[in-house]
Order: sequence, then structure tokens, then C-alpha cells
Amino acid sequence: MIDAALPLPLILLAAPLVAFCLVALTPLRKTGVFAAQVVIAFSPLSLAAACLLFWRQLGDPTLVDTWSISWMSTGGDSLVQVGWHIDGTSAPMLVVVGLVALCVQVYSVAYLHDEPPASMGRYFAWQALFVFSMQSLVLAPNLLQLFMGWELVGLCSYLLIGFWWRKPAAGKAAVKAFWVTKTADGALLLGLIVLYSLSGGFGWEAGALSTKQLNFVTGLLLLGVMGKSAQIPLHIWLPDAMQGPTPVSALLHAATMVAAGIFLVVRAWPLFEGAPITLEVMLWVGSITAFLAACFALVQDDIKKMLAFSTCSQLGYMMAALGAGNMAAGYFHLTTHAFFKALLFLGAGALIHATGSMSMKQMGGLWRSMPGTFLLFTVGSLALAGIFPLAGFYSKDMVLESLHHAHAWGPLALLMAGVALTAIYVSRSLFLVFSGTCRTPDAHPHEAPFSMMAPMVLLGALSIGAGFILFEPFHRLLGVDAQFHWTPLGIAGLGLATAGFGIGYWLSQGRKIAVLAPAAALIRSAPLDRAYETVWNRVLLVSGRLVAWLDRYVIDGAINAFGWACIGLAKRCKKLQTGRVDHYLGALVGGAIAVILYTVIAFSVWGGVN
Amino acid sequence: MTLTADLQAWLLLSAVLFSTGIYGVLTRRNGLGILLSIELMVNAINLNLVAFGWARGDHTGQVIALFGIALTVAEVAVGLALMIQMSRTVKSLDLGRATELNG
Repeated sequence: MIDAALPLPLILLAAPLVAFCLVALTPLRKTGVFAAQVVIAFSPLSLAAACLLFWRQLGDPTLVDTWSISWMSTGGDSLVQVGWHIDGTSAPMLVVVGLVALCVQVYSVAYLHDEPPASMGRYFAWQALFVFSMQSLVLAPNLLQLFMGWELVGLCSYLLIGFWWRKPAAGKAAVKAFWVTKTADGALLLGLIVLYSLSGGFGWEAGALSTKQLNFVTGLLLLGVMGKSAQIPLHIWLPDAMQGPTPVSALLHAATMVAAGIFLVVRAWPLFEGAPITLEVMLWVGSITAFLAACFALVQDDIKKMLAFSTCSQLGYMMAALGAGNMAAGYFHLTTHAFFKALLFLGAGALIHATGSMSMKQMGGLWRSMPGTFLLFTVGSLALAGIFPLAGFYSKDMVLESLHHAHAWGPLALLMAGVALTAIYVSRSLFLVFSGTCRTPDAHPHEAPFSMMAPMVLLGALSIGAGFILFEPFHRLLGVDAQFHWTPLGIAGLGLATAGFGIGYWLSQGRKIAVLAPAAALIRSAPLDRAYETVWNRVLLVSGRLVAWLDRYVIDGAINAFGWACIGLAKRCKKLQTGRVDHYLGALVGGAIAVILYTVIAFSVWGGVN
Repeated sequence: MTLTADLQAWLLLSAVLFSTGIYGVLTRRNGLGILLSIELMVNAINLNLVAFGWARGDHTGQVIALFGIALTVAEVAVGLALMIQMSRTVKSLDLGRATELNG
């Protein structure tokens, strides 16, 4: 049915790239909504190609469609290949990226309708660039191309966080996100270089590498992953990234870009699998992040920051599952999380759009005026909390099972506590936002327009169904034999989540101060921010000044000294130019006579000029 | 013998002309005087060329001398133009006064 000759991956990559070029490089970018429509017109092409590839992969899970050309070729030996590599690992991610991107783009048109046309064009150009970058990251046939996509999505993240750059907080948040992730990327790049020097390539096959080497390489890669996927202690950029438009948070900072870190581990699984120390670190970092970020989420009143910490926490779950050695569980949670967290962010966007506030304390009673958003937000919340039979339940249960299977009792306890905390903060936000009466007297909340509701409905359907529909095909693609069955652990998790909902209701009724005040004081991430700031000021700026001094006085000094020497020499030489014609003539005639005399003497003495 | 003797006489005349020119160039302060002296030197060279050409029995020397005369015309035009400009700006043809270009 699907012609193998049809260059599906090419369509997948070219559609967003063409859209980006059209909007960014032509006067189209000033047309606002029309530019948006151009980008949105190209998105389904890309998504259709992704779906066809996914379908083909389902038909034959062992299929590997790979194509690449030499890049930076130096005669016989080329440094690296670029192209694509589609197998069971990359196919699901392609669909996730394409689908969430399309939903977010459609949603953004209405969300940003107040923006001036040029800003709108800029926004959609970057959206298209992001989709291209993310897809080329996912399709990468080696880790170097993956790294290039990785940096490009980092750039898009920077640009989109700072979309409202006139607001100083947005500019600062963009720079912070850029620096934190770039610092981590330094380690990642180092890891790639070490990998190249050890194995002679950027492939993800473990090959002949020893366990020690694998630990070293993956340890460096892991640092980059922790930066991108906002794992403690490198999570500090993600809450600030909420300064960007809400749809951006949904696409980049919830569903896809932050998940790129997890995807890197999944992609380079042969390397990570053979590195026990790295896996152990991942297990602990993941579970500690899952627990602590859930605590942070609990004390947030800003709905977007609450969701941001929730994203950190859920990424911690994925990380922990990977650390426990169950790649499929981490990847599956990534997939379901992408759907329900994107839904929650889009829902939060609708709420912010309607009330003009981000604080949950100023919302309230919104279920009457926004029943559709209420329903969808509830679906997303239940999926996030892991309530049966929504998507989050299946994937979270798998994560817990994998830790149980690995006998990682400490991390498992942290994650179980995290399950309860998740349910608590989710229900707290639900009750704060939708029950009671509206706490902003002059607000007239209204339901979001159709173009914002439709993407949310689609994501809502996936949040409900992705768990049990995708469970079996997903594992078939990864070549893992898995069956879902009820275990005591799953029931315990469900029980904790249900209990958490009760506590969340209790907290939302204003009784939280006595319980949470000390905790809130302790667990805010501000001290960590300050610590980073100190390091920044004391170490980086001081060494920066040293380098600047060296540049100014040593390197520039050498160049200036050369210049001054030339000027000095010229000052001496210019005395020769007296400006007197008779001097010049005398020199001329004297010179001529000297030449003649020399010639005559030369002929008479040596018999020739020699 | 006569040919060589005649050639030597011509060359002697040329040398005298040339030396006169050099003497004029070095001693004159007036720009026009120097220009005239340069003309003397150029003509001494042309005389040399014609004399050698005559002694060799072909026309090469004469042809080069014709070219030389044409070039001299151009050179004199430039030189006179310079003199006119100088008389306008410095109000004098005394080259000792034109010292603006000292280093």
C-alpha cells in the first residue's frame, strides 16, 4: 500500500522547512494570520508522512529505513553522515511531535490574535523551524545529527520563550534557559567527542566499548540530558520558561523539546544499557526530581508554574524508569505525557485567555462559564494523576512496575510519594480554578473559540485512549513483549492517587497554610537559583574578566605594539622627504652618475656586470 | 676610420649637451630653466640615438629618436602645465619656494 519509493521522511522534514523559509525569508512574515495559515497548511503534510511511517512500522516492526549521505567528506573518510534512520524507536516520536505541533499551531492562531502581524509571522516561523529541528533530531541516523537538532530546538526554545521580549522577565527567562541548557550541552558535546575518539563514529551501538568507557561517555551525555529534560539540579530554567506564550509551553516545555533528553537516552539505549553506574545515577536523579518537583508544584499559585514543575516531576518518572533499565516504560510515559500535558497547558492557556490572570487564586467557579474547558482540563488532570483508565495510569503503572522489577526500593518509595503528591496538586488546582465562585469580580470569563477547543478535544481523546490503545502496538514497535495486568503495586498507586484527590480538595479549601507553610519555605527553588547566581558571578564573570584582560593587553597589545613600531619608523623615514626640488634632482643625478660609474668600472675591471 | 671619428665627434657633442643639461638642472632655481635644461638632456640622448643609428647603417636609431621627440612633447606639456599652476598658487617660479611637500 505504501510505496517504499515514496520519500516519506523527506516530505516529513521538507514540509516544515519550506514553511519556515516561506514565512521567515519572504514578506509573508508581515502578513500575520496568513503566515500562520501557511505554516498550518504545511503541518498536516508532515504529520501525514509521520503517520504513514508509523503505520508502515506497525506492519513490520523490525523494518529499518535508513538513508544518509556523507557530510564534510575529506576524500575517502567522512567525519559524519546525515540522513534519516526510521525504526521502531523513532516512529512513535515522529507522530507525537507532528500531532502536538499541529494542535498547538491551530490553537495559537486564536490565542495570539491580538499580536501585531509581524509578531505573529515571527512566532509561526519559529514554530515551523521548531518542528523541522525536532523531527530531524528524532530521525537522526547518528548522535551528531541528533545533537544538531538538539541545539536547534534549544535555539527555538530561546526564541519562543523570549517571544514577548519587550517584557524584561521574558528576555531574562530566555537567556537563563539558554545558558543553563548550553552549559549542560557542553558536557553532552564532550561526551560525543569522547565517544568519537573511542569508537571512531557517532553511532549508538556499544560496539567494543568497555563498561568503564560506556559509563564515562553516557555520564557526560546524561549531564546534557539532565539540562534539557530539566532534572534537579538543572531544572531551574523550566519554571522561568513559562514566560513564553502558553502554546509554546505546551509544545516545547511540556510535550516535545524537554522530552528530547529522554528520547536521547532511548535512542542511545545500547550505550546506556551497558553503563550500570549511569543507570544508577539516572534512577536516583529521576526519582528525586519526581518527588521534589511534585513538592514544588504543590506550593505554586501560578497555574503555569504549577504545570512546569509537574513536567519536571513527570520527566523524573521517565528518567527513573530508564534508570531502572526499562526503556519501553520511560518512552511510553513520554508519549502519554506529551498528550495530557499539552492538553493541560492548552487548557491553562484557555483559562488565562478568559480571566487575564495566571494565578489560580484569582480564578474560581469557572466550570459554569467554561464547561468545555472544565471537562477537558479534568480529563488532563486525571490522566496526569494516573487514574484508571486514562493514559497516565498505564504508563505510570509501567514505570512503577519497572522500579519494582529492578528492586529499587528507595526510588520506588519516592515515586509512590510522588504519585500521591501529583494527585494532591492536581486536585488542588482543579478545585481552586473551577469550584466555588470567581474571585476576580470584574472578569467575564467566556469559553474559548472553536479553533482553540478543537485541538484540546483531540488531545483530550488521546489522553483518555492512548493508554490502552497504544499499549500493545507501542511495545510491539520497540520489540518488547509486554502485557498489562493488575498488580498490587498498580492498585496501591491508584489508591494513593485517589487519596491524594481528597487531600487536594481539603487543601483547596484554604486550610493549607498550617500544613504547607514550613514546607513551602523549605522547598522553593529560590536558594538554588541564588547558588547558581553566586557561581556565575564569582567564577564565570571573574574568569571572563581575566580573559578580557588577556585579550586587551596581551593579544591586542602585541598588535598595537607592531602598529606603533611602524609609525615610529615612518616618523624617522619621513625626514628624507625635504620637499625641496633641488634635493630630489641632486639625488636623481647623483644616483644616475653612481650607476654609470659602477657600470664603467665593472666593465673595465671585471669585464662585465656581475 | 672616418666613420668612427665622425661618430666620436657626434658623441662628444651629445655629451657636452647632456652635461650642460645636468649643470642647468642642478644650478637653476627657476622652474622654466630646469625644464629647458631637461630638454637639452633629452635632445642629447636623441642625438646619441641618431648618431648610433647612422653609424650602424639602419633606421632603428632614427625611429626611436622620433618616438623620443613625441614623448618629449608630452612631457613638456605636463611640465608647462605644472609651471602655470605653480605661478598661480605660489606666485613664483622659484622651485626653492615650493616646499609644501616636506615630511
